[in-house]
Amino acid sequence: MATWDRPSQKQPQGTEPAAEREPVGRELAEANRFAYAALCGISLSQLFPEPEQSSFCTEFMAGLVKWLELSEAVLPTMTAFASGLGGEGTDMFAEILLKDPILKGDPSLITQDLLSFSLKEGRYDARARVLVCHITSLLQVPLEELDVLEETFLESLKETREEESETAEASRKKKENRRKWKRYLLIGLATVGGGTVIGVTGGLAAPLVAAGAATVIGSAGAAALGSAAGIAVMTSLFGAAGAGLTGYKMKKRVGAIEEFTFLPLTEGRQLHITIAITGWLASGRYRTFSAPWTALAHSREQYCLAWEAKYLMELGNALETILSGLANMVAQEALKYTVLSGIVAALTWPASLLSVANVIDNPWGVCLHRSAEVGKHLAHILLSRQQGQRPVTLVGFSLGARVIYFCLQEMAQEKGCQGIIEDVVLLGAPVEGDPKHWEPFRKVVSGRIVNGYSRGDWLLSFVYRTSSVQLRVAGLQPVLLQDRRMENVDLSLVVGGHLDYAKKMDIILKAVGIRTKPGWGEKGLLLAPSNQSQEEPHQATAASSAGQIPHQDGQTQEPAPGDTPKVAEPPDPSHTQVLAELDQSEGASLPAIQGPDESAHVCSHGMGPNPLGCPNCSQSQGPCPGLD
Amino acid sequence: MDEDVLTTLKILIIGESGVGKSSLLLRFTDDTFDPELAATIGVDFKVKTISVDGNKAKLAIWDTAGQERFRTLTPSYYRGAQGVILVYDVTRRDTFVKLDNWLNELETYCTRNDIVNMLVGNKIDKENREVDRNEGLKFARKHSMLFIEASAKTCDGVQCAFEELVEKIIQTPGLWESENQNKGVKLSHMEESHGGGACGGYCSVL
Repeated sequence: MATWDRPSQKQPQGTEPAAEREPVGRELAEANRFAYAALCGISLSQLFPEPEQSSFCTEFMAGLVKWLELSEAVLPTMTAFASGLGGEGTDMFAEILLKDPILKGDPSLITQDLLSFSLKEGRYDARARVLVCHITSLLQVPLEELDVLEETFLESLKETREEESETAEASRKKKENRRKWKRYLLIGLATVGGGTVIGVTGGLAAPLVAAGAATVIGSAGAAALGSAAGIAVMTSLFGAAGAGLTGYKMKKRVGAIEEFTFLPLTEGRQLHITIAITGWLASGRYRTFSAPWTALAHSREQYCLAWEAKYLMELGNALETILSGLANMVAQEALKYTVLSGIVAALTWPASLLSVANVIDNPWGVCLHRSAEVGKHLAHILLSRQQGQRPVTLVGFSLGARVIYFCLQEMAQEKGCQGIIEDVVLLGAPVEGDPKHWEPFRKVVSGRIVNGYSRGDWLLSFVYRTSSVQLRVAGLQPVLLQDRRMENVDLSLVVGGHLDYAKKMDIILKAVGIRTKPGWGEKGLLLAPSNQSQEEPHQATAASSAGQIPHQDGQTQEPAPGDTPKVAEPPDPSHTQVLAELDQSEGASLPAIQGPDESAHVCSHGMGPNPLGCPNCSQSQGPCPGLD
Repeated sequence: MDEDVLTTLKILIIGESGVGKSSLLLRFTDDTFDPELAATIGVDFKVKTISVDGNKAKLAIWDTAGQERFRTLTPSYYRGAQGVILVYDVTRRDTFVKLDNWLNELETYCTRNDIVNMLVGNKIDKENREVDRNEGLKFARKHSMLFIEASAKTCDGVQCAFEELVEKIIQTPGLWESENQNKGVKLSHMEESHGGGACGGYCSVL
């Protein structure tokens, strides 16, 4: 629990009364400031080699050079670094930084500094967050530390408020603030009427955010942030009018969409948010949109999207009918032979199954169409920054993943789509899996694009039975996109049928490297994981197809802030164990997937531009920035 | 990547503070001279394409800071360099004496041992010369380096220094070809996987 000791040290730092401190970055020796900037520059060029990201990289570096009070003369060099020249040596620079006397062996101060820098404009760009995560891991700081820092940033708001009212010297500022407060209060009240939680926290928090930033960033930065303009930009971080996502009302019926609202999953606030999208509803346990997401703890501020409940319910019922009946058994049997050879499309569907096809085909068709519409609508909401200037992570299964797919597709066509989406996780997605359709997503997504698929999900192949044989469905196989962002996770061991995506969401989330609530895993281990199929969602284990999880560098393990002295236990120990257990219980009915298999190779070289060991990435233009 | 460029070479310029490393580079790339040039911070970076014997080579030149406080950064740049230009000031004997330290550092951090080194005695336009040309030549021979005397101010020998260095690098095929092959492997990794071609460069090292 070493990680837990840290916050106690950090807290006082963050809450020092308007500390007369320079940002840590500026205290470093010049050579080390240079190394710090160079490290960021090279990392940027590795993370975002695409030409459309170059302006961001250049601007970021220019800002950082200024922030670190480095001479203008280094700017051309830094720009060269950021555009991919001189790619070697991140480890050298990291080493140099680690030896710095001011950091005193606590490199998380760099993380803190970089975070302060990234937030100073009141925008938290998803790319900046990915960079912060990357640097954090290069400096061998556990990513939980970043959570703690982000949290400290927010926590310090409350404290600062109290201090400010006590301190006499702040009275002038207070008066100034009060005027603004009134305004925020009005906005806040307006949204409270609408029964929104985020309305209060989002809008009202704005002046506090500015004050909190002051303590974190230090007095120099505070001067800038304390100004009216500073407060305004901090407001932007949390969503313009304070109403945020829950305050969002679909003004008119958009296209074919009948229902579209955001429901808060958690009460907290965070510098980054997660939106979960459910793929179908069913009677009983999974009748609500939030039901599958109980274990999700990626961020302290999470929403789930409620959309087209009527149709999703219809679909869910149809799925249950099919998957619980005789047809399921027949299909499973048939699958045993086909799935192993990997030719799911060639499956000859049993007659008994085809006879119930009409039960599913209709609702499925309707939902396919609606999900695309909903995805496009979501894209425009995100583009208009209803969520504030914060990175967003999208997680969805089944048709929810399809919503994400179309959301990304729509965003990719719009201007200013960069830096909004941090990670996306698509589970069992009924969408085209051809890499060329995923190509544009590189522009939109800053962090990871995770495709969780199951070779044993016969339902997906069944509903696509009428389409051409060549059709690649992302939910059935890896998407072979050559990019560091793309990660394919084979969930075949966990997901035996399409319904499992909701039922085993906790295991799945762990498998794809999304943080889950502490306790779920441990509890699972106590229960016998043998009865794999129809159980409660948290039944099974902390498991996953461990082999598929890429190394946990900056982009992969997103921190979820929050709730705890938690997650000290690394996922690994439980993995192996569980895999063994699953293996036994499953028998040979599903393909073994432990080893990262050829086609499912995880492209995850967040660390380097193009290490030779990452064959799948080698063809892409992107990760080889140094070559031209 | 330009079609006609044979290869991209990484060149490093090192030496004591104030010997004129940045001035040499500036003269070479921009053909300008600034007597009041400020001390380099960290490292400076310039790219220039030159043509030697009909072969075009793109030079990525890293101009390191000579000041002691930036010394920690220098090792980061040695990796992958094919050529190193070691500069001293002919009017300051101390900069000549300290060459040994630089050679030590070079040996410690360089990733390849067939790297081409060149010794440049700068500021020959000045009157108060302290290091004789023969001394420099002797030192260079002893450590098997190329040698030239130059002046960034009068443009004497600057172009020549870079050209000779590049020529020598190109004449040492293992040096830059292995680099090229490595790149080839990177790009066509799918077909070649861990191609034997990549080890060619290392074999010659052995």
